[in-house]
Amino acid sequence: MSINEKLKQIGEEAKKTISIVDTIHDLNNEKARYLGKKGLMAEFMKMMKDATIEEKKEIGKASNEVKQLITKLLDERKEYIENKKVEEKLASESLDVTLPGKISNVGVRHILNQVTEELEDLFIGMGYIIQEGPEIEIDEFNFEKLNLPKDHPARDMQDSFYISDELLLRTHTSPVQVRTMLEYGGKEAIKIVCPGKVYRRDDDDATHSHQFMQFEALVVDKMTTLSDLKGTLLEFAKKLFGDDRSIRLRPSYFPFTEPSMEVDVSCSKCGGSGCNMCKGTGWIEVLGAGMVNNNVLELCGYDSKIYQGFALGMGVERIAMLKYGIDDIRHFYTNDLRFLKQFK
Amino acid sequence: MKVSYKWLNEFVDVDIPYEELGNKFSLMSQEVAGVYSLTDATKIVVGHIISKEKHPDAEKLSVCQVDVGHPVQIVCGAPNVETGQKVIVALVGAVLAGFKIKKAKIRGVESNGMICSLNELGIDKKYVDTSGIYVLPENSKIGSNPLEVLSLDDEVMELDLTPNRGDLLSVMGVAYDTAAILNKELMLKVPQIVEVDEVIDFKIKIETKKCMSYYARVIKNVEIKESPDWLKARLIAAGVRPINNVVDITNYVMLETGQPLHAFDLDKFETREVVVRTANDDEVIKTLDGQDRNLLVDDIVITNGKVPTALGGVMGGYDTEIDEHTKYVLLESATFDPISIRKTSSRLDLRSESSMRFERGVDPNRTILALNRASEMFQNLASGKVLSGVSNVENNNLDDKEIKIDLTYVINYVGYNYSVDDIESVFDALNFEYSRDNESFILSIPSRRKDLVTKQDLIEEIVRIHGYDKIPLTLPKTVSRGGLTTSQLRRRKIRNLLQGFGMDEVISYSLINKDNLYDFTIEETNYTELLKPMSIDKSVMRHTPLNGLIDALKHNIARKNKDLSLFEIGSKYLDTEKMAVCGVLSGVQNQLSWKGNYESVDFYYVKGIIESLLSNLDVEVKYAKPEKTNVNFHPGQTVYIYQNNNLIGFIGKLHPKYQALNDLNDTFIFELVLDDIKFQEEINKFESIQKYPSMERDIAIVVNRDISASLVLDTIKKAGKKLLKDITIFDIYTGENVGESEKSIALKLVFMDKERTLETEEVTERVNKIIKVLEKEINAKLRD
Repeated sequence: MSINEKLKQIGEEAKKTISIVDTIHDLNNEKARYLGKKGLMAEFMKMMKDATIEEKKEIGKASNEVKQLITKLLDERKEYIENKKVEEKLASESLDVTLPGKISNVGVRHILNQVTEELEDLFIGMGYIIQEGPEIEIDEFNFEKLNLPKDHPARDMQDSFYISDELLLRTHTSPVQVRTMLEYGGKEAIKIVCPGKVYRRDDDDATHSHQFMQFEALVVDKMTTLSDLKGTLLEFAKKLFGDDRSIRLRPSYFPFTEPSMEVDVSCSKCGGSGCNMCKGTGWIEVLGAGMVNNNVLELCGYDSKIYQGFALGMGVERIAMLKYGIDDIRHFYTNDLRFLKQFK
Repeated sequence: MKVSYKWLNEFVDVDIPYEELGNKFSLMSQEVAGVYSLTDATKIVVGHIISKEKHPDAEKLSVCQVDVGHPVQIVCGAPNVETGQKVIVALVGAVLAGFKIKKAKIRGVESNGMICSLNELGIDKKYVDTSGIYVLPENSKIGSNPLEVLSLDDEVMELDLTPNRGDLLSVMGVAYDTAAILNKELMLKVPQIVEVDEVIDFKIKIETKKCMSYYARVIKNVEIKESPDWLKARLIAAGVRPINNVVDITNYVMLETGQPLHAFDLDKFETREVVVRTANDDEVIKTLDGQDRNLLVDDIVITNGKVPTALGGVMGGYDTEIDEHTKYVLLESATFDPISIRKTSSRLDLRSESSMRFERGVDPNRTILALNRASEMFQNLASGKVLSGVSNVENNNLDDKEIKIDLTYVINYVGYNYSVDDIESVFDALNFEYSRDNESFILSIPSRRKDLVTKQDLIEEIVRIHGYDKIPLTLPKTVSRGGLTTSQLRRRKIRNLLQGFGMDEVISYSLINKDNLYDFTIEETNYTELLKPMSIDKSVMRHTPLNGLIDALKHNIARKNKDLSLFEIGSKYLDTEKMAVCGVLSGVQNQLSWKGNYESVDFYYVKGIIESLLSNLDVEVKYAKPEKTNVNFHPGQTVYIYQNNNLIGFIGKLHPKYQALNDLNDTFIFELVLDDIKFQEEINKFESIQKYPSMERDIAIVVNRDISASLVLDTIKKAGKKLLKDITIFDIYTGENVGESEKSIALKLVFMDKERTLETEEVTERVNKIIKVLEKEINAKLRD
């Protein structure tokens, strides 16, 4: 057998044996068998040690070709084995991707706090400061300084939860306005909103609750006008109930404002043409407002010859009920998850 | 106040549909609750009963032949139906209160309509007799509309009055505003009385300031009878039941003028003088409704000089009541102190049409008008003879009050550029008297409008009559930097964090049952109790939102929702109000159902929430097991939370007994009193990221089971000094490989230096040092 034939034979053999190897371990053995220190190629070269320089030159060239061939075969096989391994792993890891996942529980904020925050953010955007105060309040701040003296018909003992002659659960958040005016000392302009819980002596039913949340705003400055109040109310109505809303004011009466008014917002369901939600009128009564009564300004340390102001107040429950179509005020305080979870 | 359309039209020419006036009234005066017809009955006519025969097959029914312009046969069940009567006939096709009349056979006899009572026409039972059909006057024209005959073809506008507008408790008051709204002339009438040739001989004495004026007339030869139909119809429209002509006239004039009147039977009066005074302490009066009323010194009584004959302004006396024999009448028109009337009527729970008007204040300039108007009607409708003269005492100040207002003030207040003409046309429309000097007005406020006292009150008049819709839309010019306070921001952050931990927010009631006050309280403290609670369940202010949270938990569990994680941020009401965040957790928290991964909440799950929460708020705390705690808490699974030795909250499991009693599964609760926590004020500054590697060492030690984890950690921290950066407990073991009273704790210690890479030797040395200290201080052994 000629040398070339011998080399060719090794190459042929390598083609056969390497192509059936299945593991990296066996492949390494094959590599050693052909290319190792004691491998077939080394053996072959040893046999050639007595050849002439010319022969060696030729053999060297031919053997290099075979080595390259074997190296190539080994590399190809290695890649093949590795790919196969990855494919097997992938096949074994295949999932029913349609099974449901592990849910990360995300809680919900109470809808009344969501609405309150929405209101807060609206007014903060217009430069208002949020003010808070105690829920157990003194009579003087809850009534007297708001132009409701002791014998005023609108403050019947029956309507409020008294704790003592001078202490009661606040019936509105307006005492926070009183506290702020007193704190500002009749000198600085005021631009605040007051959210919070209030209490009234009502039996709980679909539209009444002995505890509810109010949201009030107060602006006092030297040139605060009724038109400012009207503009502010429109901003509120658009933000809460949609850009197409319009408002209308009707005369009303509150002891702490004069003039006082009820504020209607055009019905968001029918747009004002009349439907069952607005009882055919096209308008929905949403909140009360007015210009701060001069008596209140004076009682709280503001000179009514210099300062004038407006106030507005709403029930957060009512806003939420109108906005989300909630039919019973008791839902807010029953805390049934089937209710709470609807408002994400 | 309910106002008849016909009545109002006597004072103003309302030339638009009543409904339309109602809409305008709502926008410019007072809220209108509704505008409706007195009756909606259709297809009804006056019929004449020609004959009446017994129904062949029914004892109580009659078969009537009725002439309604043409003859019809009607079967009628009323006991009072008689031949010759003029009656109200609902023809076939008529609709009465939503009920349609059809041609029918009643027990075999054909019936083509129905003979009606007023109640069947839709007039409420409280106003009319319901014992049989209504018999019309003999002269009623056959085939004509019986509603016209009875003056029931009228409409009603019902007003929802605010307490300041007492002037609208009268048709005249409504007429003033209607005239202003429609810009029409007001038509006022002067009563026409023909006094007889006998002079009134009656003394009036007022001994209390609570009665400001008292006017009286005497009318003799009064004939008591039913009022005419038009008068009855107007009372019904106003919601007042007709009684007899004398009573009806006093009510009618009150409704028309707003001035309550009272008629005494003078034959029962004993004396010829009226003394108005406050009651004596032990005095008793029997009022018109037959009840004995015990009086107090605050009450006003009208006496005959000896005994009370009426409770002034509230209700007449039983002993001087008008009855069917009355002939001789003393008519009273007086004014009383509003506050006193309110006190008396509310104490006695006796709220009458009269007290309601006095409470809101009546117009002292209508007292004499009302007296004369009623006398005129006595004369015309009760054949009364009015004695000459009026007995009276007048202590009211009848002068008009003045208010000065400038145009610029109005413009600057409203933000609308009113003209002098705008203002004048409003004042004219409202029939105000005023003078003007350039742009300055001086108004004399009419006594009918007690609500007008200040300039602001006048601005309301201008704005409402000129139109709210004309006011422009502007925003306040006040510039200020809006925003939340830090505590508000923090509450929002807490809310978001807890929401992120999978907790749902609730809001619960602050008022709770006193029995539950201490259910979740860990300190002795005061409480706030209502003077007059509405129910025992809502009588005290809660000590903690946990009461409401547990209620919410129970509510949901009862509805098969057992896996719950709820929180509330709300007030605790102790000596002061304190803001707290509380939570309750029960059942499975995170689950993957098809993997069977149902891990119920346990103590460490809840503690993890609190630790994460506090760490996110940069609050460092210590946890300690209390020696004694609330009986409703599990003594082995309750921990108190301290910041600088101040108790700021707790985490606990509910006691098995409490859980069993309340049908609860394992339930965990927590409370953090936000107002007791000192929050870091400065912001966290950036720290450069670590350049040098850290080195970790795991050790396992065996200690007595009583040794708490926090003691182990504290001991290690102390011994680890500066290089020790972090410790993690990664395993706790009890069992056969350690002693019976021992446990093994496996810990990962992390060492680091900001300035350099640590040497292995120094870390080993530090670990050995730590182990030595552990051995010495808590008797720990290194586990092999």
